[in-house]
Amino acid sequence: MNYDERSAWIGVLRLMLLLGVLISGCSGSLQQSVSRFEFLTPKPFGYVIGDEIAHRIVIDTRAGVELNNNTLPKPGELNRWLTINRLEHSQSQIGQGMRYVIDIRYQVFYAPLEVKMLAIPGFSVQFKQGAQTIEQAVPDWHFTISPLRELAVRKDEGGEYMRPDVTPGGLPNDDTVRRLFTSLFVLALSALYLSYLYGYLPGLPRRGIFKRAQRQLARLPERDLASALSVVHHALNTLNRKPLFQHKLNEFYRNQPDYRKLAGELNDFFELSNRFFFAGYGGIGRDDFDKIERLCRLCREVERGGR
Amino acid sequence: MTDKFLNDWREKALQFEQQINRVVIGQQDAVRNIVIAVFARGHVLLEGNVGVGKTTLLRAVAQGLGGQYQRIEGTIDLMPVDLIYYTYLNSDGKPCVDPGPLLKQGEQLSTFFFNEINRARPQVHSLLLRVMAERSVGAFNREYLFPHIQVFADRNRVEKEETFELPAAARDRFLMEISIETPDDDTVLDDLMFNPRFHDVDALVGEIDSSLIPYYQLNEWAVQIQQTIEPSPALRRYALDLWKAAAEPGRYGIGLSDVDMSQLIQAGASPRGMSYLIRAAKVRAWLESRTVLLPEDVQAVYRVTMAHRIFLNPIMAYRKDELMPELINGILESIAAP
Repeated sequence: MNYDERSAWIGVLRLMLLLGVLISGCSGSLQQSVSRFEFLTPKPFGYVIGDEIAHRIVIDTRAGVELNNNTLPKPGELNRWLTINRLEHSQSQIGQGMRYVIDIRYQVFYAPLEVKMLAIPGFSVQFKQGAQTIEQAVPDWHFTISPLRELAVRKDEGGEYMRPDVTPGGLPNDDTVRRLFTSLFVLALSALYLSYLYGYLPGLPRRGIFKRAQRQLARLPERDLASALSVVHHALNTLNRKPLFQHKLNEFYRNQPDYRKLAGELNDFFELSNRFFFAGYGGIGRDDFDKIERLCRLCREVERGGR
Repeated sequence: MTDKFLNDWREKALQFEQQINRVVIGQQDAVRNIVIAVFARGHVLLEGNVGVGKTTLLRAVAQGLGGQYQRIEGTIDLMPVDLIYYTYLNSDGKPCVDPGPLLKQGEQLSTFFFNEINRARPQVHSLLLRVMAERSVGAFNREYLFPHIQVFADRNRVEKEETFELPAAARDRFLMEISIETPDDDTVLDDLMFNPRFHDVDALVGEIDSSLIPYYQLNEWAVQIQQTIEPSPALRRYALDLWKAAAEPGRYGIGLSDVDMSQLIQAGASPRGMSYLIRAAKVRAWLESRTVLLPEDVQAVYRVTMAHRIFLNPIMAYRKDELMPELINGILESIAAP
């Protein structure tokens, strides 16, 4: 073999070596569709019947690799003592690839008589990449479960294991009571306001002016016109907060517009009063007394808001 | 018969009032009070700023009454004798004595106007007191009578320098103190400014019928009015309460802001003051066509007849302008009748 043949062979070998290296690189990248697999689990001991166990599985894949949801376990009973309460999975874009996060919440109903090791069975998650299927196994997870209490109840040691449950607290009813008191308060206020409007409140003299005047009139002897006039004068003065005179009636109506309706009667009253007190009017009749009583009654109606 | 006379006189009095209101516009309240004073035969103290028409008003009144009118200006060197006589040398060089403004018109003097009375000395005030109270003055060894005189005095309230405050006795002899304010109605002010009728005072005053009310009958009318109108017992009680309240407002529940009521009054109204109040109120009732005296008559004249008679404690006197109207209002709004 001369020198040229030998160097040609070396070239062919180099080429084959390069091809081999290239092919091996291609096959490696195919195997790494799943670039990261993480199985996050809690402590593997200290569980009792009814406890929940949360697992999280994080899988990073290349772009274009798709999780086959059907290969995930379904919520519901897995076996006699294990249930999947909830299963959630989410996917997000990270860099060039995808990240799948699967959250599974198991609940254990195993009632051991003593500390016992159990295993949550593993399963296999499938991914699709075109026509190709990629599998990723999730391993079994072992943990220990403990009984809630000892097998035998030892009353002789004074222990009382079996106790009745705490009686449940009542449903919160504070809101109802508060509403009741608010309603009662509003009711009381309304009643107070209504009595004020109707003049039933004894402590508020300005609403009961003519009520008192009516009572006083009723007690007077029939012929005592002077007292009758004085009673109504006094009532009008109290209402006006200062003495009311005939020539001040317009000012009075401005302050007490409700009484303007009685302008005619009030004017007649002052005429009568002036005649009686200042002009020595002697012809007192039953009529005059009736007029005063009528005016007082009308004023009382205005006072109560009835007119 | 008396009623007929009273009605006729009232007609004339109201015409007299109307005529004055045509000459001095925008002063209805003051004119009404002056008419009341004329028929109550009382002297009047006028108070007001300069140029508001006090002199015109008095000249109009004098013209309407038909008597003689005299006026004198109060100055610090005015002496009582200046009112009675003045001396001069005549063209022959002989000294002569002529009657002064008071004596000049004799018994015909019906309106005497003392301008700026607070500029005159107390000696002059005392002479005037006698003229006002007794309607007479002694001079030249005899008594001069002025049966129809009515004194109007004017007090300028702007200047207080070189003035002599009227003594209580002098103020008490005035029936009323009437305040003459500048009118606040724009049409009245416009008329006063632009209507030439109001620029010539002589012609303006001349418009008033001088034969309407004979001044020499006024005293007789006044007596008739006072006798005809008889106050009832209820009104007497009311007036009495008003009087007492002016002396002791605290007892009648009258209170003024930040004033100790027990310290406020030095002296209340005099009995003469109260008689004046009722006199004026009766005239007011007569002018309102009534023979019955009502509380509203007393109230209508209460302020003008009482405000200058109530003497405040000197410590409060400097707030008189502010306190007195409040006090009068308080009294009128606290006393009930009946």
